Amino acid sequence: MTEMRNHNEEKNIGEGVGFERIRRITGYLVGTTDRWNNAKRAEERDRVKHTIGRQ
Amino acid sequence: MVQQKTNSVKSIIKRNGAKVPFDSNKIRNAILKANVHISGEKISEEKLDEITLLVVAVYDQAGVVPTVEQVQDTVEEKLIEFDLPKTAKAYILYRAEHQKMREMDANLMKIYENLTFRPSADVDLKRENANIDADTAMGTMLKYGSEGAKAFYDEYVIPRDMAEAHQNGDIHIHDKDFYALTETCCQINLLKLFHNGFSTGHGYLREPNDIRSYSALACIAIQANQNEMHGGQSIPNFDYCMAPGVAKTYRKLYFKALAQYLQLHENLSHQDAQALVAAIREDLGSDITLSGSEEYGKELVKYLPAHQQEGGYQPIYAQTAEAAHRYACETAWDETDNATYQAMEALVHNLNTMNSRAGAQVPFSSLNYGTDTSAEARMVIRNLLLATEAGLGDGETPIFPVQIFKVKEGVNYNPGDPNYDLFKLAIRVSAKRLFPNFSFLDAPFNLQYYKPGDYDSEVAYMGCRTRVMGNTYDPNREVTCGRGNLSFTSINLPRLGIEARGDIKKFYELLDDRIDLVIEQLLHRFKIQCSKKVYNYPFLMGQGVWIDSEKLNRDDTVAEVLKHGTLSVGFIGLAETLKVLTGKHHGESAESQKLGLEIIGHMRKRMDDECEKTHLNWSLLATPAEGLSGRFVRIDAKKYGKIPGVTDREYYTNSFHVPVYYPISAYRKIQLEAPYHALTNAGHISYVEMDGDACKNLDAFESVIRCMKEAGIGYGSVNHPVDRDPVCGYNGIIGEVCPRCGRRAGESVSREKLDELRKKYPNVPQYHCDC
Repeated sequence: MTEMRNHNEEKNIGEGVGFERIRRITGYLVGTTDRWNNAKRAEERDRVKHTIGRQ
Repeated sequence: MVQQKTNSVKSIIKRNGAKVPFDSNKIRNAILKANVHISGEKISEEKLDEITLLVVAVYDQAGVVPTVEQVQDTVEEKLIEFDLPKTAKAYILYRAEHQKMREMDANLMKIYENLTFRPSADVDLKRENANIDADTAMGTMLKYGSEGAKAFYDEYVIPRDMAEAHQNGDIHIHDKDFYALTETCCQINLLKLFHNGFSTGHGYLREPNDIRSYSALACIAIQANQNEMHGGQSIPNFDYCMAPGVAKTYRKLYFKALAQYLQLHENLSHQDAQALVAAIREDLGSDITLSGSEEYGKELVKYLPAHQQEGGYQPIYAQTAEAAHRYACETAWDETDNATYQAMEALVHNLNTMNSRAGAQVPFSSLNYGTDTSAEARMVIRNLLLATEAGLGDGETPIFPVQIFKVKEGVNYNPGDPNYDLFKLAIRVSAKRLFPNFSFLDAPFNLQYYKPGDYDSEVAYMGCRTRVMGNTYDPNREVTCGRGNLSFTSINLPRLGIEARGDIKKFYELLDDRIDLVIEQLLHRFKIQCSKKVYNYPFLMGQGVWIDSEKLNRDDTVAEVLKHGTLSVGFIGLAETLKVLTGKHHGESAESQKLGLEIIGHMRKRMDDECEKTHLNWSLLATPAEGLSGRFVRIDAKKYGKIPGVTDREYYTNSFHVPVYYPISAYRKIQLEAPYHALTNAGHISYVEMDGDACKNLDAFESVIRCMKEAGIGYGSVNHPVDRDPVCGYNGIIGEVCPRCGRRAGESVSREKLDELRKKYPNVPQYHCDC
């Protein structure tokens, strides 16, 4: 779980909190790319989308 | 233990001159270790004792206190006398390497220092597996064990040439930290396990009687087994396994509702209503099922009025009996459905939170389902999918279990098939949550085993892709349940391409040598695995999870039953290999595709030949390669420099995939990769990367799945971005800015705004101010 920080400004929520990006790695899902090793991060960065439909 | 016949050798002088008590078992163990170090020359227990006794006898007769060096000289002599030259050589090497080992200890301490004092953000070693948090105490402890074990095996256990081939990046021995301990994975048949209950080693669990206990025990079984193996755990027939739980729950709830109705409607006391229902069950039996309730209702309508009249009880008319039945059916159906949803929700939550490996991980779990068409199984599948779609407590996407929907013509693939609705639902859920993946039982290499209605004939996939079905050791047992992979080792294919310098003939020579080495290494590991006893696996073998292990006693070795498992040779980087051999990878050129299929076809043939030769199950794996993708290329880039399209990225391309960076249509990618699925019988997966919000384009999503099926893909899935903003709970695609609350990563949002959003979106998390 991401810890919600709301210390100095009681009215604001989420400072320092990033987005969760779920990706598939070797068949498993991983909750965030933070714990990916360097090679897999690079691979994920390079992934291009595949056009759907026959061409 | 060695029986010491005489007691005259009481002491031995160590290298540092200290006189310590003599222990002949140390001699025995040293010989054993040397023998384990090599792949041939098996020494029997008796022979081991005999050699040890003869060594001791030398000093017995001389009546002197020997030194360590003298004893070691004698051991060498005796090994040669006994015609064990390989073991003798290993023993000599073992002595010579002792000094080196002390230096190795210093390297290991350096690794421990990094693990202890540097955060994982800085140390790639701590991010080898993305589902282990090596920053926590238990995660670090696990890494200490893992790194220590690897260093130990390299020096003491794995034959020198194989250890070196791993270190220099020719091959990769997967899960090397578990080299001498256990096997990779198992396809667990819960039906068999639950029958008459089971024990986890910490307590006995009765056969479950309710879908909620079925699902809870499923988690426990996965957890218990994961702690005895180094890979993930799979349930190959999850729908079949849970269906009896639904049936039992429905039966229980039907009679409960029936009693309630009669109590209220006929103004019976609670006790009388219970007694009446007991009588009904006594006389009519309790065999009411979700799909077979009508027959039972007819019986009941005949029975109740007669029973009342004959017993002289208050009359109950046929009409009332019918109404009671209808009420009970409807109530039981709804309540069973609710209970099943709760059970599946709990399962998903449990499998994302329960611990394995001392808290460093959740168990790696896979559930295969989709083909059981019974009403009970359909209820399980539907609710598992719905619970997955709903997500975890704050709407997060569940990471586990890996879910695999088994696609089969005539069962769930086309309109009119009994589980077609569930196939459609699976697509909807996968478009939102990335799971389920899809496996294809109609792919010819899977279809050849398929027998309608027999789950043991349905190919299942484990976790990242492992597939176990064919059985050379016992062709009558080509089944899914109770089997798994024993171990696997991957070959650095691009390196062979680089070293062949464009000479295809040379490439094949190098490849054959490498395959020979890996086969020998897998056999070496297998020999160690075979020396284990049932008591080394109190759950996997002790509870009969592994095939035929129920026929073994606690002290039996597992050697024979392990032969049902697979030994797999894997590979990485076909694309880079083709690039270096021909200048183009298989996405770029039809010629390269042809060569690619020849290379992988050759590897598969080598596996088939080995099956013939050894009657063990050799198979070819399209390696998942999480840690491997970077390791090989780092070493190769250093060794050969940056070769364009080969070593100039941070990773080698996964197995036979078309490179992730190469623009290609989904259709073409699928067509190109499908033939490799037929060759890689140890497992494979293909991905399609889909743009945009998949939830909004289910037709396109489905067309990809259908395209995979038609092309003969065995196992596939669609990747698409699934992002979540934990602050406002938005789930979908997030670019720079969250489309719901408008914040960027790291920015805060006002409480008022979140309150406002919550009116529109109930899944905005609640915040309690504790300041």
